[in-house]
Amino acid sequence: MTEYVGKAMPRYDGIGQVKGQTKFVDDFVLPGMLYAKALRSPVHKGLIRGIDFSAAKSTPGVVGVVTADDIPGARRFGACGDQPVLADEFTAYLGEEIALVVAVDEDTCMEAIEKIKLDIEEQEPVFDMFEAMKPDAPLVRPDLKSNLWEYGPGVTTRAMYVGDVDQGFAEADHIFEGRYQTGEQDHSAMEPMVSVAYFDDADRLVIHTHSQCLYFQLGQLAGIFNLPMSRIRYVGGTVGGGFGGKNHIHADHLAGLAAIKFKRPVKYRYSRREDLLYSTKRGVFILEYKTGIKKDGRITANHIKLWHDSGAYGGFSPYGVEKCSMFACGPYHIPNMRVDGQCVLTNKAGSSSMRGFTIMNGQFPMEMQMSKIADSLGMDPWELRFINAWRDGDIGVSRYVVRGAGALEAMRGAAEVHGIELPEHLLAMSSRER
Amino acid sequence: MREVSYFAPTEVGEAVKLLAEHGEEASVLAGGTDLVAQLNYYEIKPAALVYLGGLGLDYVREEDGKLVIGAGTTIAHLLTNDLIAEKFSVLAAAAATHASPAVRTTATIGGNIGTASPAGDMIPSLMVMDAKLVLASSKGERAVPIQEFFTGPGETVRTPEELIVEIHVPLLDGKAVFKKLGRRKAQVCSIVSTAVRLEMEGGVCKDARIVLGSMAPTPLRCSKAEAMLKGKAVDAALVAECAAQAVAESTPIDDQRATAWYRAKAGTALVERALAEAAGI
Amino acid sequence: MKQILSFTLNGSPVDVVVTPTETLLDVLREKLGVTGPKRGCDDGDCGTCTVLIDGEPVRSCLTIALTVAGREVLTVEGLTTDGDLHPLQKAFHEHGAFQCGFCTPGMLMSAKALLDHNPNPSRTEIREYMSGNLCRCGSYEEVIEAIQAVAAGEYASQVPAGDKE
Repeated sequence: MTEYVGKAMPRYDGIGQVKGQTKFVDDFVLPGMLYAKALRSPVHKGLIRGIDFSAAKSTPGVVGVVTADDIPGARRFGACGDQPVLADEFTAYLGEEIALVVAVDEDTCMEAIEKIKLDIEEQEPVFDMFEAMKPDAPLVRPDLKSNLWEYGPGVTTRAMYVGDVDQGFAEADHIFEGRYQTGEQDHSAMEPMVSVAYFDDADRLVIHTHSQCLYFQLGQLAGIFNLPMSRIRYVGGTVGGGFGGKNHIHADHLAGLAAIKFKRPVKYRYSRREDLLYSTKRGVFILEYKTGIKKDGRITANHIKLWHDSGAYGGFSPYGVEKCSMFACGPYHIPNMRVDGQCVLTNKAGSSSMRGFTIMNGQFPMEMQMSKIADSLGMDPWELRFINAWRDGDIGVSRYVVRGAGALEAMRGAAEVHGIELPEHLLAMSSRER
Repeated sequence: MREVSYFAPTEVGEAVKLLAEHGEEASVLAGGTDLVAQLNYYEIKPAALVYLGGLGLDYVREEDGKLVIGAGTTIAHLLTNDLIAEKFSVLAAAAATHASPAVRTTATIGGNIGTASPAGDMIPSLMVMDAKLVLASSKGERAVPIQEFFTGPGETVRTPEELIVEIHVPLLDGKAVFKKLGRRKAQVCSIVSTAVRLEMEGGVCKDARIVLGSMAPTPLRCSKAEAMLKGKAVDAALVAECAAQAVAESTPIDDQRATAWYRAKAGTALVERALAEAAGI
Repeated sequence: MKQILSFTLNGSPVDVVVTPTETLLDVLREKLGVTGPKRGCDDGDCGTCTVLIDGEPVRSCLTIALTVAGREVLTVEGLTTDGDLHPLQKAFHEHGAFQCGFCTPGMLMSAKALLDHNPNPSRTEIREYMSGNLCRCGSYEEVIEAIQAVAAGEYASQVPAGDKE
């Protein structure tokens, strides 16, 4: 067995990829399969007054439509359980799914969707987090009391702290402030979102999925379909790139609902444009840092305020704020730290996980702040980091105790790779003790 | 489902008769690399497709001091054609920057002109050579200087009954250079592009053409910048001034690819480099 | 207006009923059970739909199926002959030239066309020719290595009979 350790091995499942035989979800084409496409909100925010499906339903090739009234179980889903499966009273972002048209092919679906008469009252949306937080800002959704996510009754800030930052700033010789922003990004996996659903011979609902987390999602789907998990066969494992974008349910619930209603196999496939416009994205973070430091380079205090743009629904964003907060002070020993994080709703499609979800959003600004401090103090940027880097036994802002610290060793390795000679006194330092 | 007719005429006369019959209801299909994307996304809903691939319009000939290029010539064929390499190499340089190898296999020069994007890769090189387009219809043929062909983004003087059949390129003197800037190095729509042609004699510019792409509603001749060079000894200072003038004649916009500010700055540098190369300084 | 389209697919003649707006990609995937070519964007940018028509790389998502009448289409399924993998397929597998594998069929077709035209490409030539095939997993370096390995003759004894040089 150990003869394979350290050797490059071709993937045991790789032959399928190079032969083009591996079946991705869109490769499933079943006899009698129908296609579903969504009627999407044409406005950023609106109240649905009425929908006339008659012309769509009578389009040749259309089998029917699916609305919120067809949902057997829970009408809301998502990691926070606040997102409508199909919008029925209001829409909160451009492109939000309102209903499905199910037909013999996608062209027919799209033709029929154009014939739907949607009576929607357009309302004033809010896109910017700080606009959304103003007291007179329009609510992103009518079912909210505030555009700030409530972590507990009346609690809209997730605070983490160690020590006393005011005390720490009093002890500092210099204080540095900085404001940082990380952008919105799309995963753009080569495989767009898609799902195929049908009933098998044992009358179980089979759903072919590219989910990155079947167990996160199976419970949600069981709730939506009002089916016990034993009657759902959730088939996954072949993902054409996820990168965090396939942690949210995009099409499984839609294909499943259509299969339940019409008792035929149904595929819901996002076009690349749908995927780019409406699937979950990495959401914006804005972070304000205030860092106190002594002349000798030791950081005494770090106070961070951060805001995360969640889009119109919670999803993983409230958790994302907590996670970012844990990492936003970087791998540095700071006796007094505080992070005040807020999750802000806006009229946009939801934010969700992407590649190192929220971790880099916190670490990047801290590193920018450290570079800024080193520059201003005329200090060697390596020295600043070596002095402050975690040692075993230090405490992180969420009060976890650091074990197996390795920042110093990693920096030494990086310097070596780049042919940078670090001074002896830095090389002599160790993560095991200060 | 909507009924669409498909025609595959084998000669131009047949094709223009179909266009006269169907007018705006028909879409002409050559390489399809613009059209089919629009069909796939339901942006256009033609009642008929008229496929031009059987018309035999893929050729490059030399006649009476000009190159005659069939409108159906694929971008890939322009890249391997000896006449183009020898006598109109700037077009090959532009062709090499166009989309990707697979798109170039079927995309045609006539299609790039007909789509009439201000970013059209093949257009600036044709404009600096004072090329003429031959349009055919059931009423006959007419020649339109390419300079006069474009009226706005995606808009031209071609009527729905007309077909671009040939491009005539006079083999003018001078060195022509094409440059394209995109957000990445391949498969990209230009942020700014330029073609220039300078006829030089003993370091003096006898005639100049400067064209900017993606800097105006149509590909743009920068005539004031051209006039600055004519009859002058060309040095680095004049080239810099001229490039600034060229950009001053344009109206770049902010869009998803770049801001007007960036286009103006990058465009100036691009034109400067192109002019220096064409002037041999 | 449906018509019968006849063409050669991976060496065998095929007839299929198509409509004028159906693309070659639609027909291959949904009518002929050939799902190697993928639908990544439907506008010619991603390269996952790349097939060869008469030996040249083409975007099947931008090809109106009826225009393929009488021509020869090669997809990734046609690279394997009598159960033997094409050298490029072997090289991709051994060099780990993919992660999720969604871009792989398109990459292989472009790579085949490249080596058919230019059996000994430089690294720059490989990058330029493969520039129309995107990969979001980040396997570009391994793709280049696999192509270089085939070009260097590391799989020379394994070229299937009848393969174009």
